[in-house]
Amino acid sequence: MAPATTSVPPMLTVTDVVLRFGGVTALDDVSFEVYPGELFAIIGPNGAGKTSMFNCLNAVYVPQQGKIVLDGDDVTGKKPAETARMGIARTFQNLGLFANLDVIDNLMLGRHNRMKTGFLAGALWLGRARREEIEHRRRVEEIIELLELQVVRKQPVGLLPYGVQKRIELGRALAMDPRLLLLDEPVAGMNLEETQDMARYIIEIQEELGLTMILVEHDMPLVMDLADRVMALDFGTPIATGPPAEIQDNPRVIEAYLGQPADATARDAVHHVLESRHHAETEGEGVR
Amino acid sequence: MTAVAERSEAVAGDPESASSLPAILLARAVQTPDRVALRSKDLGRWREVDYATLAERSAAVGMGLVALGVTVGDAVAIHAENRPEWVEADLGIQGIGAVAVGVYPTSPAAECEYLLGHSESVVLFAEDEEQVDKALEVRANLPRLRHIVVFDARGVRSIDEDPMLLRYEEFLALGRDNGGLDRWRDEVARVGPEDVSIIVYTSGTTGPPKGAQLCQRNLLSAISTYRELYDVSRHDEVLSYLPLCHIAERLVSVINALGAGYVVNFGEGGESFNTDLQEVQPTFLLGVPRVWEKMLAGVTLRVEDSSRLKRAFYRFWLAQGHTVAEHRRHGRFGALDRIRHALGWALLYRSLRTKLGLGRIRVALSGAAPIAPQVLEYFWSIGVPVREGYGQTENTAQATGMPADDVRLGTVGTAIPGVEIRIADDGEILTRSDGVFVGYLKNAEANAETIDAEGWLHTGDVGTVDADGYLTITDRKKDIIITAGGKNISPSEIENRLKVSPFVQEVIVVGDRRKYLTALVAVDPEMVGNWCTREGLSFTTLDDLTKKPEVVALVQGVVDEANAELAQVETIKQFTLLSKELDHGDGEVTATQKVKRAAIARDYADVIEAMY
Repeated sequence: MAPATTSVPPMLTVTDVVLRFGGVTALDDVSFEVYPGELFAIIGPNGAGKTSMFNCLNAVYVPQQGKIVLDGDDVTGKKPAETARMGIARTFQNLGLFANLDVIDNLMLGRHNRMKTGFLAGALWLGRARREEIEHRRRVEEIIELLELQVVRKQPVGLLPYGVQKRIELGRALAMDPRLLLLDEPVAGMNLEETQDMARYIIEIQEELGLTMILVEHDMPLVMDLADRVMALDFGTPIATGPPAEIQDNPRVIEAYLGQPADATARDAVHHVLESRHHAETEGEGVR
Repeated sequence: MTAVAERSEAVAGDPESASSLPAILLARAVQTPDRVALRSKDLGRWREVDYATLAERSAAVGMGLVALGVTVGDAVAIHAENRPEWVEADLGIQGIGAVAVGVYPTSPAAECEYLLGHSESVVLFAEDEEQVDKALEVRANLPRLRHIVVFDARGVRSIDEDPMLLRYEEFLALGRDNGGLDRWRDEVARVGPEDVSIIVYTSGTTGPPKGAQLCQRNLLSAISTYRELYDVSRHDEVLSYLPLCHIAERLVSVINALGAGYVVNFGEGGESFNTDLQEVQPTFLLGVPRVWEKMLAGVTLRVEDSSRLKRAFYRFWLAQGHTVAEHRRHGRFGALDRIRHALGWALLYRSLRTKLGLGRIRVALSGAAPIAPQVLEYFWSIGVPVREGYGQTENTAQATGMPADDVRLGTVGTAIPGVEIRIADDGEILTRSDGVFVGYLKNAEANAETIDAEGWLHTGDVGTVDADGYLTITDRKKDIIITAGGKNISPSEIENRLKVSPFVQEVIVVGDRRKYLTALVAVDPEMVGNWCTREGLSFTTLDDLTKKPEVVALVQGVVDEANAELAQVETIKQFTLLSKELDHGDGEVTATQKVKRAAIARDYADVIEAMY
């Protein structure tokens, strides 16, 4: 995994972000940095503000205070489509796919922001539009190969199993050739085998494409296995940031998950939750 | 391309009279430089490689190896799935008088270590990150291994820092700088018919794998045999999908491909096998029994899911096809049969075959293991005459073949042209031909047991030959079970009866020195899972599935059915369902999915004991 060294400047800097909905403070003074090539995870109980943070990162929400900077460009105040052009792609908790289109077309839609020729050129199939289409199609095929979707490439997405749809959702985000990929609960609702497969693809994306990723996930064993660093949120406030092993032992994290001060038994209980699936996985096929 | 043609001219005579596979390649590059040799599906599109390109790239491989210090007789390993680079590497290696060693893509690191170490390979062609990782894990124990050339370097993080690793295209450039085709042509001219050119590690159901050494004379002998037997020509088309390091696929995708000049297609493989077949529609297809069984199971499953009317229609035409096929096998194909077949062709067989990817099939073969007659009958019924053949690595897969006009199910046919067959006093099958190999690498003891003074190959199989020369194989000599009552029983015969059921994937019959026979049964998770869904049973894992009383009862039904046709001593009294799939990585089956009986008897000793 990519080491989070401080010698390289961070790719993404989030400074003192505050987001309020009326009287509710969803994010309160959130600051963190993500380094190039890093897999950064955000964890926390339900309602801790994880998805709100994502929505700020791709400008769906505009924070009342604070700043989000990607490679020197300010993201705050931009429109979502602009953040997509800046190279931020995301997957959704609930799938955002077109059920009646096949896998290729769904991925081609991910290329939309990269297409330069206009409607008329495309409709008339002029030379440039044609070359462009071929080029985009090639990139889509590379993603199909990476995510092993060959066998379903021409099938309507709606007919495919949930686990495969989640993979296509990931593919659609990759098709945007992003600099920063936001993964919102990529394994939610998956069984153990599908979870292991997804973990394998995430690792491959990091290794082969060297992509920087931010992961929001409830599946703790997965987070602990994959992430280089983890930030734990509770009621919109970061309570700890660091390597997985450190976060796992942090008393405030344990408290946030159990809703009471950590004592020895509680800590064991949390550890059990955090590690049981982990063992099941490593004993089985194993997540690298 | 004419430049390539001119430069190949010197050694290039007629492909028919060339003295080695690389020489045939050069001859083809001169005669038909633009004709398609290979086709591969990359990023969803079929890409073609013509003979001139194949020759140029193989030459670059050969001269690249020379640049890395590889000399005559050195072993060079290839660890990859089937792809054009596999063929380029294979021919490049052979062309400089080095020895090509294939490693199964599924081989775990420990097995790679054994094969690379035993063969003393100096260079390894590794497909991708996965195979590179395996090699790096064990390279400390492989002092002879100097370089690893990587076909697809994506994700191989140490590619630039590690001096041992080389990208394939960089390596080819090295070979081009080192004389390329010009110098390779001279190297090829020095390769003689008796030079060991490939080592095929036999799957080793007992003990560690043995390295069978084959020379050019062995390989070339297969070309004339296949031409004579199956009439293969440049009009044929094949799909390369079985592991290339296995002699059967090597024969189809490399040796005969060059010999006959047909097109070899590399699909996307794995799960996409069915799509690959549909797109290629090969005219010549060699399958192991598992491939045919799976195809049949797939059709059965889809028919079960269709409407009552469609099912009745399907069964009717299948029965018609069955009758016609039976007449055809015995040379009694009459006018009525012709009409029946024509109608069935229009209404069912044609569309079914096209769907299966067998629309253009001319020659269909099954080999490497015994196949259930019921499976063969099915394919005959839809007009795909799957014929069994028999052979092994040690005789370059040349022993018997089934004559097209007189098929006898249950036998493996008659001796193929150029092969002599004899049954030894103890029942062992012996063969003698130009295909009989040079010997195992570094294994004098096994060589003495395998090839006798008169050149007969002792196959290790037991069988009988009837008056018309048809060979029937009883079993592996080592596998024959002798019960406590002193009866000799062939386990594979019983196992095959059970494997006819689409629900049963693998069976291991146990009973040596026991009072009665028992079996370990591995169910087909897909088929049984599907059955459960239709029966409204829920399940989670394979373990859970195999513990369901309904599933046990389902398999009991299969066993009862088989038992009804077996002699009393041969019946299965007890069976246990295995709660995990047999796996190559766990040492339970070989890379070709052959069961390792000894390993299973050891791993499942408790389970077996519980049945007695």
